[in-house]
Amino acid sequence: MKRRTLLLAGTGAAGTLIVGWSVLPERSRLGAPGLLAKVDGEVALNGWIKIAPDGMAVLAMPRSEMGQGVHTALAMLAAEELDLPLSSVRIEQAGFDGIYGNVAMFVGSLPFHPLEAQEGAKTARVRLGEWFVGKVARELGVNATGGSSSVADAWGPLRVAAATARACLMGAASLQWRLPLEDLKTRGGVVSHASGQSAGYGELAKFAAATPPGDVALKDRRDWRLIGQPAPRMDVPAKVDGTARFGMDVRLPGMVFASIRMCPMLGGSPGRVEPAPALALPGVRRVVQVPAYAGGTAGVAVVGDTWWQADRGAAALDIPWHQRPAGALDTRAIAQALRRTSAARDGFVFHERGALAQAELSAPVKVTAVYEAPYLAHAVLEPINCTARVADGRVEVWAPTQVPGLARAVAAQVARVPEDAVDVHVTYLGGGFGRRLEVDFVAQAVRIAMDCGGAPVQLIWPRAEDIRHDFYRPMHVAHMTATADAAGKPLSLRIDSAGDAITPRWIERTLPALASRVELPDKTAAEGLFDLPYAFPHQRMAHTATRMGVPVGFWRSVGHSHNAFFSECILDELAHALRKDPVVFRRELLAHAPRYLAVLELAALKSGWNERRVAGRAFGVALHESFGSIVAQVAQVSLEAGRPKVHGVVCAIDCGTVVNPGIVRQQMESSVVFGLSAALAGRLEIRGGAVQQSNYPDHPVVHLAQAPVVETWIVPSTRAPGGVGEPGVPPVAPAVANALFALTGVRHRALPLVAPSS
Amino acid sequence: MELQINGRVMKADADPAMPLLWVLRDVLGMTGTKFGCGVAACGACTVRVDGQAVRSCVTPAGSVAGKQIQTIEGLGQPGRLHALQAAWIAEQVPQCGYCQSGMLMAAAALLEKKPRPTDADIDEAMTNICRCGTYQRVRAAIHRAAGTRPVAPTVRPAARPEKAA
Repeated sequence: MKRRTLLLAGTGAAGTLIVGWSVLPERSRLGAPGLLAKVDGEVALNGWIKIAPDGMAVLAMPRSEMGQGVHTALAMLAAEELDLPLSSVRIEQAGFDGIYGNVAMFVGSLPFHPLEAQEGAKTARVRLGEWFVGKVARELGVNATGGSSSVADAWGPLRVAAATARACLMGAASLQWRLPLEDLKTRGGVVSHASGQSAGYGELAKFAAATPPGDVALKDRRDWRLIGQPAPRMDVPAKVDGTARFGMDVRLPGMVFASIRMCPMLGGSPGRVEPAPALALPGVRRVVQVPAYAGGTAGVAVVGDTWWQADRGAAALDIPWHQRPAGALDTRAIAQALRRTSAARDGFVFHERGALAQAELSAPVKVTAVYEAPYLAHAVLEPINCTARVADGRVEVWAPTQVPGLARAVAAQVARVPEDAVDVHVTYLGGGFGRRLEVDFVAQAVRIAMDCGGAPVQLIWPRAEDIRHDFYRPMHVAHMTATADAAGKPLSLRIDSAGDAITPRWIERTLPALASRVELPDKTAAEGLFDLPYAFPHQRMAHTATRMGVPVGFWRSVGHSHNAFFSECILDELAHALRKDPVVFRRELLAHAPRYLAVLELAALKSGWNERRVAGRAFGVALHESFGSIVAQVAQVSLEAGRPKVHGVVCAIDCGTVVNPGIVRQQMESSVVFGLSAALAGRLEIRGGAVQQSNYPDHPVVHLAQAPVVETWIVPSTRAPGGVGEPGVPPVAPAVANALFALTGVRHRALPLVAPSS
Repeated sequence: MELQINGRVMKADADPAMPLLWVLRDVLGMTGTKFGCGVAACGACTVRVDGQAVRSCVTPAGSVAGKQIQTIEGLGQPGRLHALQAAWIAEQVPQCGYCQSGMLMAAAALLEKKPRPTDADIDEAMTNICRCGTYQRVRAAIHRAAGTRPVAPTVRPAARPEKAA
């Protein structure tokens, strides 16, 4: 790693080094068998696949299961290429080698316009950028589950690893039986020959491990038995009987529990604490000062025999809190500052086309608007937690984490041990949504464990701490102007937005070695604004990255989460100004973008957009591309006692090749409800540096009785898979807002759509 | 104290003021019941006490001594799933799964009171929060377990119902 880091650091300064590195063949992600855990009888065939004596395949699983179905989807890819039923594949946590790093996520963070980056038609600039970042990401080997990228990332390497394993097994049989490879078949874990010779994978595995694979070919899609089928998810049975183990469910001998209070003022710190009031309570063992780690806020933890006792101890402490040196944060002041910054219209230009200033000047139809979106909390249902043990120079961590490698790194730092003295066990996550891409809570648990004399300690944050010490979806403001000519043809679209950059802040706190002194434009803040498919001849999308001081992070669909609201609503405003039907208007702007058009048309068709409407209900449409997939949604909305009621949302999605349509449907349903909670009521307020919200009652989310019926229609595709975990979130807010406009004539330019009751 | 849980008498060495949730999880090691909010707002901690759905995070353990407590661990029988659990699997309800223990207990309490619930009954009883948005499948699974059919709401009220993807 050191040598490669040097190489990367030499980028730009040492051209010969770069050229030398670039001609190295693409680094394989097959991996050596030695990377896998040695279990009696199991034979590793490469860095991903082991074969057990009974012929079951064991797949190294690097990605974290947080509800998105990744364990099943990846197991399906392996089962397909191994020619095994899904029930013959089981998973075990992968190790820390770079082959398990997520390359697709990093490549996906490049600021390319999707129309320049279409499979089979990428521009030279895109190909070069993707190649370069792909190589860098492969070197870094950061294992992260996020960015709706796990299937896209595994699509090549995992299938190749499984196909290679199968080739080794067949090769072994061919050599043993002295029969030609092409006369052998595999089915149900057995290699066989027409003559009757057969052997199970379990019997062949040892020999296969010593057999070179020869030519490896992936299955033709016509031969797929699993991919494309709605296979039942492997994790579901354990999730209906209470046996699924989440982070908080880890139980170890001699375990103690910890609760915590962090400074209510973000970035602030505790003064001197008198521990006696906590120690006096039954079951309380100790009080531990916890510094600010990985972008978090400092606080005081209390350790006890049970969590309730520890938490009562924490509540009993009288902790003086000190405001952060830079002064109190306030969302009202931040909003004003963002409005001013956005109005200045001098941000980094992510995309430009035509001659905008001229076009705007003379346009007869002009719509100008300022849109806003607030800070949002993740509010994962399983509160932030981590279990750690520090003993004999080793650290063991059990965490519901989206980044096991980064968790290991921070644990090593805090405990001051080398990384290979740290073991990280990844549990199920009771929701991730980007919150568990952070490692603040891992660092805290390790710090507390260092004071627990070798006993494992489980740190659980009370819900209020979880809401108040998040890495929030940043607040954004956008000044937008959309124009059309006298004939009603769209002419120009200008968007100037302002809001915090996310990725550089995340790198600073989780991957500090990579933090750059030079602040590069952060695509994650502007995604969804500059990468629109609509054929406006004149366009200019710019973003000013701010640094308001509120901790910000990745919130399901990231920049798209607010930018789709901005762009799909201003489009709707222009359509209305031109007296055009919103679907017809979009159709006219998508003639050159057939994939987008197909998704829009499917949503319009299946929602009955052109049919007779039910009285008192209105439809709103939104179309948005994110994470490699295109989603269109039509929301059907009415008003009930003055509040919006969303009856149904029809989703159409083009996510490329579908691995598991059942999972795609689940993710659309999930995204709509998640996005709707935010659209209707999501809002975080900060006064005097302290977050005002604290729990579900004042940070409301959609309940069953309010949940719309979600229908999902999938556009058939043979392209490589795009993401499905996040793309359904961005269109929700604009679809509902546009429906509300159609219903009431009132245009909502700020989220949430429902004012909080005082 | 002695608690009757899933048909067995269990001894728990705990302060009677300790909420049942934490007695279950930390004293008895039964982690199927989950902690979500601590203020009875989310329902992840739902258990049944004498058949009723109860939020255990605000229920002192001492207050339920002598009553019949059922947790998710006691919903099915060894080797046999409860009809709701089978329905949950058939409808592929869980995503992250964290809320589902509470959901299932609340659903079990509902079905005992109303064996053939209407959608309005389900709306009223199922106030548990699911951050993953599995609600429409929770509803479908309850109907499946109960053998009832919902009035199939479609987003196209004028159209004939069609099977989605």
